[in-house]
Amino acid sequence: MATERVDSTLSSTSSDQLLAFIQYLRGKKIPVSPADTLDAIGVAELVGYDDKVLLRDGLASALAKSRHELTLFEAAFEDYFQLPTERFGPSGSNPSEQPNTPSAPDAAPPPDGIVNQTQEDDPLEGLRGNALFDALESRDESALSVAIETAAAEAKVEEISLFTQRGQYVRKILDALGDEALREAAIEFEQSEPAAFEAVQALREQLRERVRDRVERAYLIHASAATEDLLDESLSKLKLGNVDHSQMARLKRLMDRMARKLAARHGRRRRKYRRGKLHVGETVRRAISTDGIPFHPRWRKIERKRPQIMAICDVSGSVAAYAKFLLMFLYALQDVLPRTRSFAFSAALGEVSDLFASLPVEEAIERVNLKYGGATDYGRALQDFSELALAEINRATTVIILGDARNNQADLRVDLLAEIKARSKQVIWLNPESTRLWGTGDSEMLLVKRHCHLVRECNNLKQLERIIDKLLSDKR
Amino acid sequence: MSDTHYPALSDVDAIQRAFESAGYICTTRIATVVRLAAALEKPVLIEGPPGVGKTELAKTCAMVVDRPLVRLQCYEGLDESKALYEWKYGKQLLYTQLLKEQLGEVLDGAKGLSESMQRLHQFGDVFYSEDFLESRPLLKAMEADNGGVLLIDEIDKADFEFESLLLEVLSDFQVSIPELGTIQARSKPLVFLTSNDTRDLSDALKRRCLHLHIPFPSVELEARIVASRVPDLAQSMTDQLVRFVHAIRSLDLKKAPAISETVDWAKSLVLLHARDLDSALVQDTLNVLLKYEEDIQTAEGQLPKLMAAVAG
Repeated sequence: MATERVDSTLSSTSSDQLLAFIQYLRGKKIPVSPADTLDAIGVAELVGYDDKVLLRDGLASALAKSRHELTLFEAAFEDYFQLPTERFGPSGSNPSEQPNTPSAPDAAPPPDGIVNQTQEDDPLEGLRGNALFDALESRDESALSVAIETAAAEAKVEEISLFTQRGQYVRKILDALGDEALREAAIEFEQSEPAAFEAVQALREQLRERVRDRVERAYLIHASAATEDLLDESLSKLKLGNVDHSQMARLKRLMDRMARKLAARHGRRRRKYRRGKLHVGETVRRAISTDGIPFHPRWRKIERKRPQIMAICDVSGSVAAYAKFLLMFLYALQDVLPRTRSFAFSAALGEVSDLFASLPVEEAIERVNLKYGGATDYGRALQDFSELALAEINRATTVIILGDARNNQADLRVDLLAEIKARSKQVIWLNPESTRLWGTGDSEMLLVKRHCHLVRECNNLKQLERIIDKLLSDKR
Repeated sequence: MSDTHYPALSDVDAIQRAFESAGYICTTRIATVVRLAAALEKPVLIEGPPGVGKTELAKTCAMVVDRPLVRLQCYEGLDESKALYEWKYGKQLLYTQLLKEQLGEVLDGAKGLSESMQRLHQFGDVFYSEDFLESRPLLKAMEADNGGVLLIDEIDKADFEFESLLLEVLSDFQVSIPELGTIQARSKPLVFLTSNDTRDLSDALKRRCLHLHIPFPSVELEARIVASRVPDLAQSMTDQLVRFVHAIRSLDLKKAPAISETVDWAKSLVLLHARDLDSALVQDTLNVLLKYEEDIQTAEGQLPKLMAAVAG
C-alpha cells in the first residue's frame, strides 16, 4: 500500500498530500481544525519535507493536542509515510523515475511480445492515435498517471463514502479515461483477430488494475473513516441486547469515548458560582491599608453538597442480554463520577464499587455476574439495599436503578422504593425493555413508575448518553 | 519567517548544542518545537509527568537567547489583577490627597459645578495613566523591549476562566486595559506553558499552542543528563543508577521518580563517595528517589529483581 501512495504525489504537490494526510488523521479520530491545518502547513514549510523525523515532530506539535492524540498521530504518520522521505518530497513530479509504480510489472505478463506482435498486425493500427491506447502500449507512466488523476478528479473519486461504491467509481474513471473505445475495439476483434483481442484485453486489464488501485487509495483516505463513523453510528443506535460478540470491542471503545466526552463536558467549572455574600469583616480589615476604602471586597464561599450517585443494576437471567451492557455503563459512570457507588443483584444485593475500581471492565463484569447472577427478586434486593445504604441517602443523592422490573409475580416492595424516593434527590429507573412492553406479563413497571422521579427506556448508547448528560447537568 | 528575534533558535542542531552547553540535554523533538515556536511566534504547551524538565526547558531557553525570564506561577484563584495588571490604588489615593491644593488652584475662579467639571476634563485621566499601572507578569513580558521568555507554569492549576484571559495574550500578544486601551507587545516574547495534565485544558487554549509532550527519557538520554548535571559521578556508576531508576519506574508506584530525583540521587551518592551500587546502599538512599513510604516498601520488596536489572 505504501508503494501505491507514491503515485498520488506524482501529480500533486506536497501540500496537497499534507492535506490528504490531515484528512487521514481525522479518520483516525484526531480532530484537526482548519486553523490547525494552516499551522501544519506553516510548520511543514519551515522544517521542509526532507527530514522525516523532523517533519513528524514538527507536525505532531501542531496537530496532536494530547498524549492520547500523540500516540495516534505517531502511528498514523508511520502508516502514511512508511516509505523513506523521497516519497513525500516535492520531487514527486517526475514519475518516470519512480521504480515501483503499482501495476507496471506483474499484472501484465506479455508486454514486449505483444508490442512486437502488434507492430506487424494491422488491426491494432486503427487504435494508434488514441492517446490512452498509445500511453498503455508504450507504457508511458507519466502520461498514464496524469490521465488517471484527471479522470479521477472528473469522476469526483474524493467523494467516495462507502466501500460498496468502489466498483462504481472504477467504472466512472474508466469511462472518463475513454476505455469505451478500447472496449469497442476489443469486441470488434473478438471474432476476427484473436491475437489483437488478447493484446487489447491485456492492456485494458492493466488499466483497470491501476484504476482500482487509485480508487482503493481514495477509499482508504476519504471513506474508511466515514465507514467507521457509519458503523459507530449504527452501533450506538442498535439495541444493546442485539450487539454481537464481535462488536463488543467497538462498543467498549464507543463507551469509553462517551465517558470521556461526558467527563470533559461536565468535569470543569469547579469554582464557578461559588461566590456567596459579602464577607463584611474581612473586607473592612483589608480596607485598612487603603484608608478605609474597600478596594478588595471579600466574599463568602457557598458550601455545596457534593452530589452522589448510587446505581443499582439487575444482573438476573431475564435481562442477561442487557446485564453486561448495564454493568459496562455502571463501570463507565464510575469512571466519570468518582463518587458513584454501584450495586448489583438478582436476589441478594451487594456493593460492587470496589470491584469496578480495581479491576478492568471485562473481569469486573465477569466477577459480578458470577457472584450475583440468578433469579430476580426485587423485594429482597431493595431490602438489602435499604440496609446497606439507606442511611447514606440524602438530598444530594441520585439513585439509578437499571432493570426490567419483572419480579416473577412476587412483591416488589414498593414501600421501600417510596422511602428511597422520599429521602433522595431523585430516583431514576432505566428499563432496557421498550415502553410498549411495560406492564405486560409480570412487569411491575407501571407500579414502579409512580415511585420514581423519572423512568426511561434505555437500551442503546444514544439513549444512555442523553440520560447521563441530563443527569450530570441537573446536579448543579 | 522572522527568525531575527532569536537568532540562536534558528537551527535545530544549533539549538541542541546551545542547550547542551547550558546544561540541558534535549531530544530532537524538543529542539524542533523550540525552533518552530521561535519561527512561527506561537506559544508552546509543554505536558508531561512532574520532574521531566518542563520548567527547566523555559529557563534554559531564556539563558540561551540571553533574555529575561518572566515567570507566572498559576494556582487556583489566580486572576487578572495578579497576572496582568493592577492599578496602584494606594498611590492614587496618596496623590489625590497631596494634590488637593493644586486642585483648588486649577478650579479657582470656576463658577458652578459644570464649569469645574469642564476644567477637570482638560487634564484627562491623570490617575489612570501608565504611571499608576502596576505591571504583573503577563504585562511585564509584553513590555520587555527586546523580547524575552514568558513562562506560565502549571496552567492546569489555574481556573478555567483564567485560560480565557490568556487567549488574548497568547494569540495576539496584546493586553487590553479598559482605561488605557490595548497594549501591544513591543517585541514578541517566547511563551512556554507547562501542564501536569491534572485536567483537560480548553480547546481554545490548545488551539493557540504548539504541543510538546516530554515523556520520561530513554536510558541513554537520562545517563547523558545525569552525566552533565553530576559530572563527579563515575561513568559506570551513572549507568547503573539510571538503569535502576528505569527498572523502578516500571513498578506500580504512587509517584514514579523523575529526572530531578535521579539527579538528586546521583548527587547524594557522590556525597557518600559510593563506588558501586549495591543493595545496602540502595536501601539506605531509596528515600531520595521515592517520596512515599508505600512506594519505598514496594521497591524494597522487589529489590533483588531491580538489582538484577542493573547488572543486566
